[in-house]
Amino acid sequence: MKREKNTWTRALKAALGTLYSMTPMLLAVIGLVGLFQTYITPEMIHSFFTGSALYDTLIGTVTGAISVGQPFISYIIGGGLSQQGLSLYAVTAFILSFVTLGVVQLPMEYTLFGMRFTLVRNLLSFLFSILVSVMTVWTLEVLL
Amino acid sequence: MTVSEREKSFGRILLLIVISLYLLAALFDPASAGQALMKSLSVLKNIAPVLLIVLFLMTLLSAYIQPQKIFHYLGRKSGLKGWGIALGGGVLSHGPGYLWYPILSDLRARGVNEGLIVAFFYARSVKVPWLPMMASYFGIAFTVILTFYILLAAVIQGKIAEKIIPPQSTI
Repeated sequence: MKREKNTWTRALKAALGTLYSMTPMLLAVIGLVGLFQTYITPEMIHSFFTGSALYDTLIGTVTGAISVGQPFISYIIGGGLSQQGLSLYAVTAFILSFVTLGVVQLPMEYTLFGMRFTLVRNLLSFLFSILVSVMTVWTLEVLL
Repeated sequence: MTVSEREKSFGRILLLIVISLYLLAALFDPASAGQALMKSLSVLKNIAPVLLIVLFLMTLLSAYIQPQKIFHYLGRKSGLKGWGIALGGGVLSHGPGYLWYPILSDLRARGVNEGLIVAFFYARSVKVPWLPMMASYFGIAFTVILTFYILLAAVIQGKIAEKIIPPQSTI
């Protein structure tokens, strides 16, 4: 019983130590989230799109990656863009990259996982945001 | 489960840069700087419960889960079990992705397959609590098809990453 308590206390101390060491990095990322949410507004995101399906899909992926916030924000922006006549490819790419890519968390990812891992994961996420959006819309068109 | 000196100093430098950005913003546009600070504080308040979950999981991992077990269930030869755990864990994990970095980097150091970590990250884009809202905006068919492709893409990306990233790569 006492041995188990010791194991638990030692593990808790180690975990607290790790989180404490990461506090500056975590606070920096949270600070960046506030700045991005303030300076990158939905209106600014809307202004990047042109109406060309191909170009807008790419823009959707990039703007999704630089946007931050809860996932529902991407649905609201995406819904608004869709109502304005923007292609579903671009809207899907936007809502996907909104949650899979994150410019603000790149420094932390690089520090903890290394350059190669961060580069490979983010490049794959970028490419697959486009691929998944194309496949989703195609499948939807075939089925409905 | 330790944070290297390089990681610590990088964190401090990054925090200094962000504080400088806030000071610059406060100098030229105090209203927006205040707004950004309030938003950051609100994020901090929202993530506090998730941080507690992360702390609990890290403690549990360190205290009771042997590296051999982790390697068996989530190592390069874990098979379908490993992929199932990665996808399920990704879908069920809450909060911002960066909160899960410490525990994932710890698991990686204990021999978890890189491909499974990549799959976990991508599967996180299925946000179960927000699915009804997505369906109300884009329809049920869209939501189901997108969710299916996200999970498929998570596995494909994990498989590709497995080939490209050597185990324990921190270069």
